[in-house]
Amino acid sequence: MSVVAEQAAKKNYLAGLREALLEEMEARPDMVCIGEDIGLLGGAFGVTEGLMERYGPQRVIDAPISEAAIVGVAIGLAMQGRPVMAEMQFIDFISCGFDQIVNNAATMYYRTAGKVNLPIVIRGPSGGYGGGGPYHSQQNEAWFAHSPGLKVVCPSTPADAKGLLTASLRDPNPVIFYEVKELYRKRDIEEPIPDNHFVPLGSASIRRPGNDVTVVTYGNPAYLCLQASDELSSEGIDVEVIDLRTLVPMDDETVIQSIRKTNRVVVVNEASRTCGFAAEVIARINEMAFEYLDAPPLRVTRADTPVPWVKPLETAVLPSVESICDAIRRVARF
Amino acid sequence: MAKDSTTVTEPDSQAPSTETQSAANRARDLLTPEDHLEILRQLYLTRYFDVRLIKEKRRGRLRGTLYSSHNQEAILVGTIFGLRPTDWLSPIHRDMPAFFLKDLKSGWDDPNRMGMSIQEVCAQVWGKATAPGRARDNWSHIGDAEKGIICSTSMLAGTIPVAAGIAYDFKLRGFDGVVLTYNGEGATAQGIFHEAINFAAIHKLGVITIIENNQWAYGTPVELECPTKDVADRAKGYDIPGLIADGQDVLDVYDKTMWAVERARRGKGPSLIECKTFRAYGHGDHDDDRAAKYRNSDDVDKGRSRDPIAVYKAELVRLGILSQAEADAYKPEGKHAIETTDEDFPPAVVAALKEAVEFAVNSPMPEPDEAFRWVFAEDQP
Repeated sequence: MSVVAEQAAKKNYLAGLREALLEEMEARPDMVCIGEDIGLLGGAFGVTEGLMERYGPQRVIDAPISEAAIVGVAIGLAMQGRPVMAEMQFIDFISCGFDQIVNNAATMYYRTAGKVNLPIVIRGPSGGYGGGGPYHSQQNEAWFAHSPGLKVVCPSTPADAKGLLTASLRDPNPVIFYEVKELYRKRDIEEPIPDNHFVPLGSASIRRPGNDVTVVTYGNPAYLCLQASDELSSEGIDVEVIDLRTLVPMDDETVIQSIRKTNRVVVVNEASRTCGFAAEVIARINEMAFEYLDAPPLRVTRADTPVPWVKPLETAVLPSVESICDAIRRVARF
Repeated sequence: MAKDSTTVTEPDSQAPSTETQSAANRARDLLTPEDHLEILRQLYLTRYFDVRLIKEKRRGRLRGTLYSSHNQEAILVGTIFGLRPTDWLSPIHRDMPAFFLKDLKSGWDDPNRMGMSIQEVCAQVWGKATAPGRARDNWSHIGDAEKGIICSTSMLAGTIPVAAGIAYDFKLRGFDGVVLTYNGEGATAQGIFHEAINFAAIHKLGVITIIENNQWAYGTPVELECPTKDVADRAKGYDIPGLIADGQDVLDVYDKTMWAVERARRGKGPSLIECKTFRAYGHGDHDDDRAAKYRNSDDVDKGRSRDPIAVYKAELVRLGILSQAEADAYKPEGKHAIETTDEDFPPAVVAALKEAVEFAVNSPMPEPDEAFRWVFAEDQP
């Protein structure tokens, strides 16, 4: 394939992730990957396919089912200066490694007064809409956004998947990286990905410009918001969709600039409602742009329930195009 | 199988238990008289450090909780003495002296020494800006990656996987270093204890888990923490050696440690060493009075009846390294910390602490602005 053809080839979200991993493993011989089934199998979803063949079982570790040890070992490797990618087979399982993440990794740089930083990316498939049930559908980013010392990232496009994972792997801090598993192989979002693509952490993306209402979101709901915007444009509501991409650090500036223009905002997150990240976004808007608001900010989130398994139940609790449209209409007409 | 302090569980078919024991005995045989005198000096230093802090704490001069290492000094000195400077440690709350015992053989004045100075350890206890972590976390929660010391958290057994990560890095680099992690018997009930040793055993990493079995995890006795007769039996599940050392006998601890260390250096993987001892006081100094609720005084007296300093001095007299008069020159053994005086310790030991405490007292506190720093490492490329 010619260079031009290769650049133009459309790639899916999973390919973006895989490219980032392969390129960083190639560029940094000291980098190590660790996770369950990431080597021989190539990962439950195939994100790490080909890594072990290329870099061997010493650098691509098929770990036992021990999330806490996976993170703890990653900390030890990172203390020795090695970049580490630690995979959680499903991000739901990250709770098994919680102590090592929030008490050990997140605080190491602080506790050592800047002497020991930990270049670790803990990544894994997240999110609902796929019938995964309570333990294969979580979007638990708020736990980690609430723990100082961790960066939190959640891309929604193939190019962002690559660019943000590359940036995360090069970041000197621990990063919790939420992949949207329902987007891994989604055909209609495939897009070309530039070579050496890098998206700096902390930069939001305006996915759709608009003048009437700002919608702030990230992850899978970005597509629901875009769909809602299309529907509402026929009603004369011009929606601007901001994809945060990184929650910590959050790009306050892009959000505030947009609200100065639209004076109305809806925040959408897939996770449950109470203390979800949408609450944090709205708190910041109130602190930084209250005087620009013409309507109370609203949020659309999952209900305060676990994510149930069968489709009618799952659909009932998760944000939908309809629930997002309703919220946008409410702030538009306030 | 009956167990006593000389029993070794050794599933490695190339080193049956009898050979293992004779190999272990050789480690002490290589110690010179100077080594022995240095070990004794380190035992005095370790005891005096603790005594001094107990006294300072009682005077209300220190913030935080003191977890005394009294009666457990042989474990710290015996496990650390034979290590190379480039080996790593991860001490826990009761192991404050470990920070300065590491690579102490090089001497305080060696600029390349891979251990903390007693000044910085005291600065940490006093909560000063000259402490290794600038006093951002308390007491034993300090580390120094450049000197091979892991910074622990309060979550017990939580540094074992970190030690495994360090040892995995050694393996990738072809370096034969070892990492010693310290834990109480209670910490072996933690899930991460299993996960981490399991991982280390699978990859034959140079991680040696020292269990300081002082019989009490805060207010809970060992039989409510561990279902096996000996904590060392936990090693069987990982097909790694589970050794038992007499925690009051510095040479037995040294032998068992060196056996495990040499085995790990040969790439044969982790070991677990249970050092049987007895906690002298309460869990922490806040608990000294309440400890009488769960430990009767006869048991405490019995548990403290074999002071590691006395045990070692008797052995040195037997070996002809000390005369009885020399052994009797300093006698802190058998005394409660507050009953001891400076005359119970060698003057050099007292002087070292005096200087360190002065350094700590005279060091500045960190500025309040520092509380907001070092959350993220943004200055690096």
